[in-house]
Amino acid sequence: MPSQPSHGIGIDIGSTTTKAILINTEGTIIAKFLIATGASAQKSAERCLDELKVQSQQDLSKIPAISTGYGRRQALNATKSVTEITCHSIGVHSQNPEIRTLIDVGGQDSKVIRIGSDGRPTDFELNDKCSAGTGRFLEVMAQVLETSIEDLGTLALQAKVPSIISSTCTVFAESEVIGRIGAGDNPANIAAGVHKAMAAKIATLSHRVGVRKPIAITGGVALNPGFRFYLGKQLDADLWVPEGPQYTGALGAAILAMNTRE
Amino acid sequence: MSPETSPAPSEEREKAYRKLYTSKLLRETMTLHILSTKTASQEGRLVWVTSGFPVEIPVAFNTVAAYPEQYGAIVGSEKCGPLLCGFAEELGFSQELCSYARSSIGSVQQPEQSPLTGLPKPQALLACNNICGTVLPWYEAVSEMTGAPVYLVDTPPLEGEQPPHHLAYVKSNLNGLIEFMSQTFNHEYDEKQLLQVAKLSNDAVNLWTKALEACKNKPSPLNCADRFISMAPIVSLRGTQQAINFYETFFAEVEERVKQGIGAIREERVRLLWDNIPPWFTIYDFFNTLAKQGVVFPADSYTHAWSAAIPRGEIIESIAKVYSNVYLNKGLSAKIDKMCSLIKDYDLDGFVLFSVRSCKRYSIGQMVTKEEITRRTGVPGVIIEGDMVDSQQYNEAQAKTRIEALIEMIV
Repeated sequence: MPSQPSHGIGIDIGSTTTKAILINTEGTIIAKFLIATGASAQKSAERCLDELKVQSQQDLSKIPAISTGYGRRQALNATKSVTEITCHSIGVHSQNPEIRTLIDVGGQDSKVIRIGSDGRPTDFELNDKCSAGTGRFLEVMAQVLETSIEDLGTLALQAKVPSIISSTCTVFAESEVIGRIGAGDNPANIAAGVHKAMAAKIATLSHRVGVRKPIAITGGVALNPGFRFYLGKQLDADLWVPEGPQYTGALGAAILAMNTRE
Repeated sequence: MSPETSPAPSEEREKAYRKLYTSKLLRETMTLHILSTKTASQEGRLVWVTSGFPVEIPVAFNTVAAYPEQYGAIVGSEKCGPLLCGFAEELGFSQELCSYARSSIGSVQQPEQSPLTGLPKPQALLACNNICGTVLPWYEAVSEMTGAPVYLVDTPPLEGEQPPHHLAYVKSNLNGLIEFMSQTFNHEYDEKQLLQVAKLSNDAVNLWTKALEACKNKPSPLNCADRFISMAPIVSLRGTQQAINFYETFFAEVEERVKQGIGAIREERVRLLWDNIPPWFTIYDFFNTLAKQGVVFPADSYTHAWSAAIPRGEIIESIAKVYSNVYLNKGLSAKIDKMCSLIKDYDLDGFVLFSVRSCKRYSIGQMVTKEEITRRTGVPGVIIEGDMVDSQQYNEAQAKTRIEALIEMIV
């Protein structure tokens, strides 16, 4: 009779970063690694696996691996690929089974997933046609405001009166931000306006799926306190952030890998 | 397996997906039809008609009908949508305009660079706005380029039952059409001939409907691409004996598949509903890739639109009724009702709504539709975005991720 593997690997090849996780049957994370995806999804996946090997000091060749994310088919070592919708859902459910809505805001896309009591997705919406409402949008705005992406959220929280930024199109919003700078608005107010506009965009996407509480937020943008604040306000809800919110998809993939029968 | 014996990708696709032997007859039938449109054009009796046009009337006037929308499908399948659409855009037409309209106008502008050197020159352009409002300005643009006159059968949108004044208005439009045809083609109207054409039309529609309904069986004898390709005669040869000849053979093959338990795909695991026109430029790749994963589409909202027969009664009134009541001409609820009944009757596990950027009339309200269908039927669905002809507006990876996620929700 086939037995359950003792370990599982999840590789999430996102448009901006690639994440990999090695877990054991207890669900303990043995090793994890994150790297910029860059020009080759395949190479970034290989690099992640090499790092997991170094961190865990284990032979990974016999451990089942599931790939997910935009570049999921490029992970040659993966046993199979599963969409990021399912993997994020499974990943966040393992960390907090109460979560019913997951909002994942990554580098180049964002998604809202409604999660059933069994941890499987029941409905979802993706915004992946342009960079509006994604980490890339914030990166461009940080550049215009001459601050780092890490500090942009904190800057936004210092605002007294957020500037009005009406567009979430990265190209148009950049012009608007430049206009606000020209009008003499202070950087904190502009940063707040940028976050408010993006939060409104993600809230709309969330309402398309139908928001059910409690809500979790994952992806790189979940680390941004300014975005969390404005999105929480828009949705009138507290947002739960898991530990390592960028790894949720990889974690879900590792759990699925471990549940495959050998 | 050695490299020499490795199957080519196309062979692999055929393994997951069973080809209909009727496809040879289909090719012959449509080739003959194309030739007949060329002859008709030379003889001065070719009309261009929209897909939802009451074609029985022009056929009863001994004219031959060519379908620019069907030509658009050919343009899409030949993967030259962006080129032909580009010709129309060079003339100043917006990229937001329907890609059937753009490719049609583009082919009139540059026939030598178009598949089949475009459709033969028409002597009249017959539009019915029961499928969308774009058809009139589109045909008017073609009219300016070709000199052929336009006649519009105006069927104002309906909600619920057709009121008497609506029916009377559409009837007056059809009587106007008869007058237009008599004058343009110098041919007298013969009601007997129209009754005969209507009978031929109904016979073909009945055979087509029976083939569609056979897909309630498990495994489904037809997949989406089978129906979309095989619908060509029911669109362009409705009202002719050729259509009946084709669908008799087609239905016999479908019946045989059902009898022997042969499915359209090798292993049927998930049964989905398809909504809207398909992405013609990737039709086989799209459905065959899913077929490899055990996904079959036993029903779709589009090909079922050609399954309404002309009811008994006074012929002009009957034609007015059937062509006014196509579900694209009715409120959103008519289409939702149709899709919910297809999901129930064909025992489907989920649905894919294709949001076609070109086809606003078909794609409008899909977000509400998705919620409502799931609420009523309990099955999940997904919206994918793109276009039927203009491949520049389609992102394969995004569409596939959505459908794969849907399958993961079902399996």
